[in-house]
Amino acid sequence: MNFNIIEFAKETLQLVQNQNHGSILTILFIGIVFGVIIQWTRVDTFDKIAGFAMLKGFKVPKMLFFGIGLASIGLYFMIKMGWAHYHIKPIILGGLILGGTIFAIGMAILGLCPGTGPVAVSEGNIDVTVGMIGGIIAGALFTYLYPELKNIMGPDLGKITLTQLMGDNADWFIFVYGIALMAIAFLLPNKEIEEEVGEV
Amino acid sequence: MKLPKRLGWIEGGILIAILIWYTFSIWGADRPIGASTAISYMGAWFFNLKDTEYFQHIKNSGAWEVVFLIGVLIGGAFTSLFITKTFKFRVIPPLWRKHKNNSVASRLFWSFIGGFMIVFGARLAGGCTSGHFLSGASQTAVSGLIFGGVAIVVLIVTGRLFYKNL
Repeated sequence: MNFNIIEFAKETLQLVQNQNHGSILTILFIGIVFGVIIQWTRVDTFDKIAGFAMLKGFKVPKMLFFGIGLASIGLYFMIKMGWAHYHIKPIILGGLILGGTIFAIGMAILGLCPGTGPVAVSEGNIDVTVGMIGGIIAGALFTYLYPELKNIMGPDLGKITLTQLMGDNADWFIFVYGIALMAIAFLLPNKEIEEEVGEV
Repeated sequence: MKLPKRLGWIEGGILIAILIWYTFSIWGADRPIGASTAISYMGAWFFNLKDTEYFQHIKNSGAWEVVFLIGVLIGGAFTSLFITKTFKFRVIPPLWRKHKNNSVASRLFWSFIGGFMIVFGARLAGGCTSGHFLSGASQTAVSGLIFGGVAIVVLIVTGRLFYKNL
């Protein structure tokens, strides 16, 4: 094991500087804004995320569906204008189904995910900190087992988007898609977890 | 000016959408938001697994996401201390107390298991809520939509089976 944090920081910053995905300050800024939004809406709590798994509070899916619906319409035209690019993950069918299942069981139990988890850590949740340690060990084990595991992750059906499949109709389809996702956000029940456990 | 103590889901959704646009844009990072690769990057680094096929494959994304998550920690700590005033050391969440048990050992044990499963599952699937849902579904990526569909169903089924007095 190697817990030399100085060496870790040096190597990590070097790797970031060698790629063309924003300066260190830009990336930190993106992270800070993400942390502020997640903390300020309080979707970084066990109560809100596990509360959705128990169907007792719906703020998390409402915010997710609304945000994604809105983002999808803007992003589509940004990409068309050349202001952004697609970054599509492949359809590795076995990995998506098996991984999605394991991921969601863990999410219902820990009540957080890899993006909201660090926010929960930053506001003092010791249980989530232990969960993140479990995650780091899982990451190491996955890295070690990857040569074996990649055989069960397939088949790789390629990088496909719905707008691609719609061809010439993509320009209006994106509005149907985005508005449908935003409509789901409004149609989900207005139940908040605060009714169950008080302010969180 | 008095800041509100909480933001609602509409404000939160709009802000997340703006952040997704900025991150994707050529003036921002020209890449998606993601978080789980950082966790496996740290795991592989701390456990001396840098000479593996997988680490070489993810090291650039992983390093980017580590810097991102440091920002997340700063933003979260700042907001909890000064805006929502919710910073507090805690072990058992109120909802766990109500629907599971009152035991610190049980909560910490299950947190470890849960955290382990989340990262292992996310790496099998190639992403998590951030990568597949926020970034993937915003691009209408079929992979993100499959992951999201599976995850929402399993999340609700697990909620039914794992917790009591629902």
